[in-house]
Amino acid sequence: MTEGMGQKIVMGKKHIITNFVNLRIALAPAALALLGFTGWSVAKLRPGSKASVAIAGSRTTTPCALALAPTPGNEGIDGEIARLQQQAKRASDPSRALEQLGWLFVKKARLSYDAGYYKLAEQCAACMETKQANSAEALLLRGHVLDSLHRFAEAEKLARELVARRGLPFDFGLLGDTLMEQGRVRDAAAAYQKMVDLRPDLQSYTRAAHVRWLTGDLKGAIELMRLAATAGSPRDPESAAWAYTRLALYELQAGEITRALAASDAALSFQTDYAAALLVCGRTLMAQGKATEAVEILKRAASLNPLPEYQWHLADALRATGNVAAAQLIEDEILQRGAVNDPRTLALYLGTRGEQPEMALRLAEEELRLRQDVFTHDALAWSLAALGRIPEASGQMKLALAEGTKDARLYFHAGVIANRLGQKHEARKWCKDAAGIAQMLLPSERTELRRQLAKL
Amino acid sequence: MNTLLRKVQRGAALLLLALLPGTLLPSLVFASSHMDAPLITLDPAANTTDVYAFVDQDNGQKFLTVALGVYPFEEPGIGPNKYNFDDNVLYQIHVATGRDVAAGRATFSYQLRFKTTFKNKNTILQSYLGVIQNVGDAGQNLVQTYTVTKLDNRNGRKTLLGSGIVPPNNQGNATPYYNQGDNGENPAKDGVATEAELDRYTKESIAQLGNGYTAFAGQRDDGFYSDIQAVFDLASLRNPGKDSQGGFNLHLMALEIPVRELGGDQQLVGVYATTSRRSVRVLDDRRDDDKKENKNNGPFVQVARQGNPLFNEGLVAIADKDVYSRTSPTQDNQLFRKYAETPELAALLNAAVQTNRTDIAGIYIPDLIKVDLSTTGVRFAGGGAGNPMNPDDPGYSRLSIFGGDVLRSNIQDPFHNGGFIPGGWPNGRRFGDDVLDIAVTALVSDLRDPDHLIIHSPIGDNVDKNDMAFSKVFPYESTPQNARNHQHP
Repeated sequence: MTEGMGQKIVMGKKHIITNFVNLRIALAPAALALLGFTGWSVAKLRPGSKASVAIAGSRTTTPCALALAPTPGNEGIDGEIARLQQQAKRASDPSRALEQLGWLFVKKARLSYDAGYYKLAEQCAACMETKQANSAEALLLRGHVLDSLHRFAEAEKLARELVARRGLPFDFGLLGDTLMEQGRVRDAAAAYQKMVDLRPDLQSYTRAAHVRWLTGDLKGAIELMRLAATAGSPRDPESAAWAYTRLALYELQAGEITRALAASDAALSFQTDYAAALLVCGRTLMAQGKATEAVEILKRAASLNPLPEYQWHLADALRATGNVAAAQLIEDEILQRGAVNDPRTLALYLGTRGEQPEMALRLAEEELRLRQDVFTHDALAWSLAALGRIPEASGQMKLALAEGTKDARLYFHAGVIANRLGQKHEARKWCKDAAGIAQMLLPSERTELRRQLAKL
Repeated sequence: MNTLLRKVQRGAALLLLALLPGTLLPSLVFASSHMDAPLITLDPAANTTDVYAFVDQDNGQKFLTVALGVYPFEEPGIGPNKYNFDDNVLYQIHVATGRDVAAGRATFSYQLRFKTTFKNKNTILQSYLGVIQNVGDAGQNLVQTYTVTKLDNRNGRKTLLGSGIVPPNNQGNATPYYNQGDNGENPAKDGVATEAELDRYTKESIAQLGNGYTAFAGQRDDGFYSDIQAVFDLASLRNPGKDSQGGFNLHLMALEIPVRELGGDQQLVGVYATTSRRSVRVLDDRRDDDKKENKNNGPFVQVARQGNPLFNEGLVAIADKDVYSRTSPTQDNQLFRKYAETPELAALLNAAVQTNRTDIAGIYIPDLIKVDLSTTGVRFAGGGAGNPMNPDDPGYSRLSIFGGDVLRSNIQDPFHNGGFIPGGWPNGRRFGDDVLDIAVTALVSDLRDPDHLIIHSPIGDNVDKNDMAFSKVFPYESTPQNARNHQHP
């Protein structure tokens, strides 16, 4: 599968996300109006975003006032946010409280799937800069927010400045994150190497593991992700849950079903209702042919994080149980919201179903302008193939395969495109490779793969 | 309210505003080393809490006992599975002798490496398969063993001293013998005065190693005590205070080192500890043949360091806390002397002397716990002076020298008083030493001129003892709190 993949990056107490899927931000006219009011030009907030409600109520445009405006919510983290806001208001030098507040907003964004909190984190950074120009702490916070908002080039610039100024492990981590998203895997790996040499821990191990996986070293990825998982802490349960979730995916790809389930269970023991872990758990059950069990878990995952990737798995599972009507409702939602929630996955979805190919291509092309990683090249290749532009699709597919990523969906797409180019031998090879790890594919993709293999 | 107390409160309030590091648990930051530097706080298996080092005598033989705690604020009620020593961490307790003490250089490093195995992996019962009668029996599914290796840094020679087994974590009914009446429903047994009184699991886990060493590694009650919450709550100290570590466990590694292994007892030694994790190869573009020979693992990289209590937590500025974690004491003079000689905390406490604190620097630079091996064995804390079964040793004081608890040295006379030196920290550190009160008292006093010592009355946080009694026998820290009936809200 295409690991759309929130390689969640967690940095010490600072939860950093480069969640390529989860953090795609919904666009809403009302939110845009609000953002116009607050002076933001490109930000997009999910409709009904609690963060946007908080911002709307602030009646001000100054970063500090926005950062310190009351936010709704009654969970533990909301109380901590309120406490830090009060602390920042009282302090003669509020920089530390603002920094902590900013990272707490980052954490809240990740836990709530409400990307508006990233904008609040960005306001914390801006507020810190009004107190202390050239604050490295503010720069790091801002850099991670920009990275999370898919403004990778801007984030890279800040990361390079941080590396030049002080070169702390987090600085190299941010630099690597931005480079990974832009498809510069070797440069990213070099930055991550600096990071792990300075500080071997969950954050650097997860990055190293991801590089291994992306470059086709599944065994190494599992080994390093195990290191990451054991370095996790109950005090930062989501980070540990993330590492175990990634480990579960790797184990699933390795065909280690029991280990995959154990890893997703471990993730859920750290963070109850962790959507990413529920998704992997559901996928593993689907791989075992336990569609009925999978549906319940995938429903929960998709309700927690209603993004196309989650909904696509749920819809396929529902179809596998014969519940076509429920599947269609989910698929309608993918079509309605996918373009804003996660355009790359929607492009893949449309390409797979042969629907609205022009829209799929447009979405993939737009995505490629933001990031040039292998999965975006794959989405573009698949969209081009859906339009019958096979030679161009083949070119993009080569770029998608350039890092040697062992990914069932990449292989499947490569096989289909090669077949349509008339390259039967190559097509057979790719399809067989995909079949070797078919448990990573959606049921609908597995059906199509079998059809392709039969033709070959 | 006396003036001194007001000073403490005012100083601590400023401290709160100035020193809060960026952690998710900011109110817990200044707790011994339980939450010291930002980068290490979320790696609890490698996060050191405290280091202990003191002279002990047993059957006429003298030992340097050293101990290292990890897993700060280990919540008993969170379950047994998440708290174990990490097979991937290199735990080291370092001892400097001779000239190495002043240089901050480890002469010997005692390395502990753990290995985790399961009797049955086809079960969800990760830690226990049944009631554990004896350590390592069929009821204990997760079993950790460890090796202790002595590294002589002068010549690189390694000596495997032996191995041990880690007792189970205290879960309650699965581990009844930790608990009062050997009943898992009851609270954990308190510390004891004699080896014979130790609980079954602890007794069975004390490992006799080669060359006269004794080792223990396992879960214990966290013996650090202080009202950290009040200190950070705008220094709104209360009387009585509340032990912020009360009810929490940690994982302890303890080692009795025969002093002959260190070159005899007529010397001062220095002790500190580190934890390290391996770096890894991020991008593996080697040929397959090479991969067979070389594993992913790179060199160990130090991720945490601990010497005297409260140095990195209380004196080193936020910007340098992570630097401290990854550097060696050999660099302390260059990097951290300024924090000891001009301690910000002294200013916040309105101490009479705030600069040129050579007395404070003498303790912390380099940051080794200095232990005079020439004294007799230390006096131990038990369950308080009036405890009928396990009283403190006569003359013991939690305040060490500030409470009149002294030992006589045969090799030094730093106070020009005939060689009497502190009975506890900062001459070594015992379980039970009230290091917060001792440190604050030292800061508001002036100990620079041995002929004109100015000592203010001991001040502190109104937490004067641990929530559990200490044992007066190895491994000293009390049995671990029972998960079944200990959970913090």
